[in-house]
Amino acid sequence: MTEIPTNTPVIELHNLKKRFGIGDAEHFALDGIDLTINSGEFIAIMGPSGCGKTTLLNILGLLDRSTDGEYKLDGREISTISARRQAYIRSHQIGFIFQSFNLIPRLSVIENVALPLTYKGILQTKRLKIASRILHNFHLGEREYYMPSQLSGGQTQRVAIARALVNEPSIILADEPTGNLDSRSSHVIMEELSDLHKRGNTIIMVTHNPRLTSYASRVITMLDGKINTDTKSADDETIPFTDITPTAVKKRKKVKLVRPWTKRRHKSKATLVSSNRRKK
Amino acid sequence: MRFLFINHLQNARQSLRSNRMRSYLTMLGVTIGVASITIILSLSSGAGKIVGDQIDSLGGNITIIRPGSPQTMSTNLSQIKPQRNFSASSLTEYDLGVIKDIKHVAAAAPIMIISGTIKADNTAPSDSSVVATTPELQTISNLKVQTGQFLDSTIDKNTVVIGPQLAINIFGTDQAIGKSLTVHGKALTVIGVLKRANDPINYNSVDFDNAAIINLEVGKQLGLGQPQIQQIDVRSDSVTNLSGVIVDLNKALLISHGGENNFSVLSGDQIAQPTSQLFFALAGATTAIASISLLVGGIGIMNIMLVNVAERTREIGIRKALGANNGDIAAQFMIESIAIGIGGGVSGYILGYVIAFAISTFLTFQPAINWQIAAIAGFISIVMGTVFGLYPAFRASRKDPIESLREYS
Ligand SMILES: Nc1ncnc2c1ncn2[C@@H]1O[C@H](COP(=O)(O)OP(=O)(O)O)[C@@H](O)[C@H]1O
Ligand SMILES: [Mg+2]
Repeated sequence: MTEIPTNTPVIELHNLKKRFGIGDAEHFALDGIDLTINSGEFIAIMGPSGCGKTTLLNILGLLDRSTDGEYKLDGREISTISARRQAYIRSHQIGFIFQSFNLIPRLSVIENVALPLTYKGILQTKRLKIASRILHNFHLGEREYYMPSQLSGGQTQRVAIARALVNEPSIILADEPTGNLDSRSSHVIMEELSDLHKRGNTIIMVTHNPRLTSYASRVITMLDGKINTDTKSADDETIPFTDITPTAVKKRKKVKLVRPWTKRRHKSKATLVSSNRRKK
Repeated sequence: MRFLFINHLQNARQSLRSNRMRSYLTMLGVTIGVASITIILSLSSGAGKIVGDQIDSLGGNITIIRPGSPQTMSTNLSQIKPQRNFSASSLTEYDLGVIKDIKHVAAAAPIMIISGTIKADNTAPSDSSVVATTPELQTISNLKVQTGQFLDSTIDKNTVVIGPQLAINIFGTDQAIGKSLTVHGKALTVIGVLKRANDPINYNSVDFDNAAIINLEVGKQLGLGQPQIQQIDVRSDSVTNLSGVIVDLNKALLISHGGENNFSVLSGDQIAQPTSQLFFALAGATTAIASISLLVGGIGIMNIMLVNVAERTREIGIRKALGANNGDIAAQFMIESIAIGIGGGVSGYILGYVIAFAISTFLTFQPAINWQIAAIAGFISIVMGTVFGLYPAFRASRKDPIESLREYS
């Protein structure tokens, strides 16, 4: 794994909390997160379903606000930044890959990919040219004028990723970007992210697939809205799953039910670990 | 440099296209409203123009006197159809004499409209009129005789000059010289038939094609009480003297009316006004109808835009996540509704002229085409799109991105 000089903090979180519901239904999706992410890091976030990963990404991506605590982006406290400026940051600095694709159904593939460029003020011809180039990189060249409904799940996810990368964001937030892809497509995506990482971009990726953490420079596991472990190494051996591996093996059956597409890799102990945590 | 405006336009076009049928139906309300306004404006200014042209063609030395004070003129609709005016006119035959004595007055002719049926072989239709006047009317109003002659003070008073359409209506032919007709039971001999003028809208408020012109003395004898003079036409001896004549007319008539200002002396554009008043009255009524259809059209725009916003909640969330700010989202929907407004406006303007020209084949004048009407149509449609698009656009811009993304669509 390449070591990248990571010194300037881009994202600083201090005691970050997010509460949903009120009264009896009150529930903290994030319950005191302290985290510093330096520029150029490639972070993989793992953890069981419902532990707050998506909520954290939404807050990092300025789509949602924390209930309590501090979030500094490039040294500036987010709550002091105007909504307009936040939109500008989303447009110029942040690329979002959603868990559920979120393509606009009435726009063609290429129009979807070109969409973020609209809000950078780039004109249509240039937009389509840039979008076309990135679609070719993702082997979607012949699908440019398809509608999203005409694509397979894997293709849709690749389009969604292409769209997130099109405005060359310095921070990429990816919520299970390879969740629906076979291993070949997964690696195409991961190579692309890895390439962006090598060029100095900051990447924060939620994944359920421990194999993919080998691309990351730092692996964070979450549990019940808190950070559980935080390991600054991409080495498989140093990720501390060992303590819970035995329980995980017992629940192998459940794994298939919950995430059927991980079936072919179910022998990977890491897969089982993450699934196990989800059940806790 | 942000070219966002162009991007918003493309966005709006895309979204209107993806709902073509709905967009057209929404435009329809605006189309009908703008079309009716275009019809009213083009026809009324066409009619106003024709009277203005007539007065210009008479040489610019004509002034007319009508009963009623100048203040009430513009609201007094009975001026349009003097035939139906049964209230006593303030103008008298004595006034005619006073006017003729004023310096630089070359000629003066009264218009006295008599309510009486014209009978000969057939009874004339009710829209025919009987006008009692003096021979001077011919030169003042530039009436052309086709056969025979106009009224003349040197020949028998019991004579009549008729319009060509009236001749055909009552005798079945326009060769009517020497024939006899009765007005209110009084027998008169036809001495002339007018040339067809096709000028039902004119400053005398008489369609001479369809009128019987009799001598003032005969008109007074018809036993209809005090003669009712609806208008006196005055011609000055030259254009330069007209303004002096108008001042003198006002002075002299004020004296003969005992200081009461119950008459108006009109010239130039003022003469055209009361005639096109009919159209303004119609315009008032039709404008009300147009306003209602515009209001309904506007509510239609707002309704569809609210549906659009609701349908695209998820899209709004996505766009915000990809970098759109509240202003971008508002602009997208605003431009969409303004585009609906303009689309409706353009088609309404075209439809309006198609209908106006179709109507004008039954009239004697063409609808006017001028930039003011185009500007009004454009202004209305943009205002419609803006006003009724504001609230939906505001709603769209204020949507929370995360909640929008959770929405299913
Ligand atoms: N808008 C919301 N309203 C109420 N509860 C929410 C909302 N979004 C997330 N949650 C809750 O917050 C917790 C964390 O959710 P999420 O961040 O989506 O988890 P993960 O992505 O790790 O699976 C879950 O318990 C979820 O039910
Ligand atoms: Mg999630």
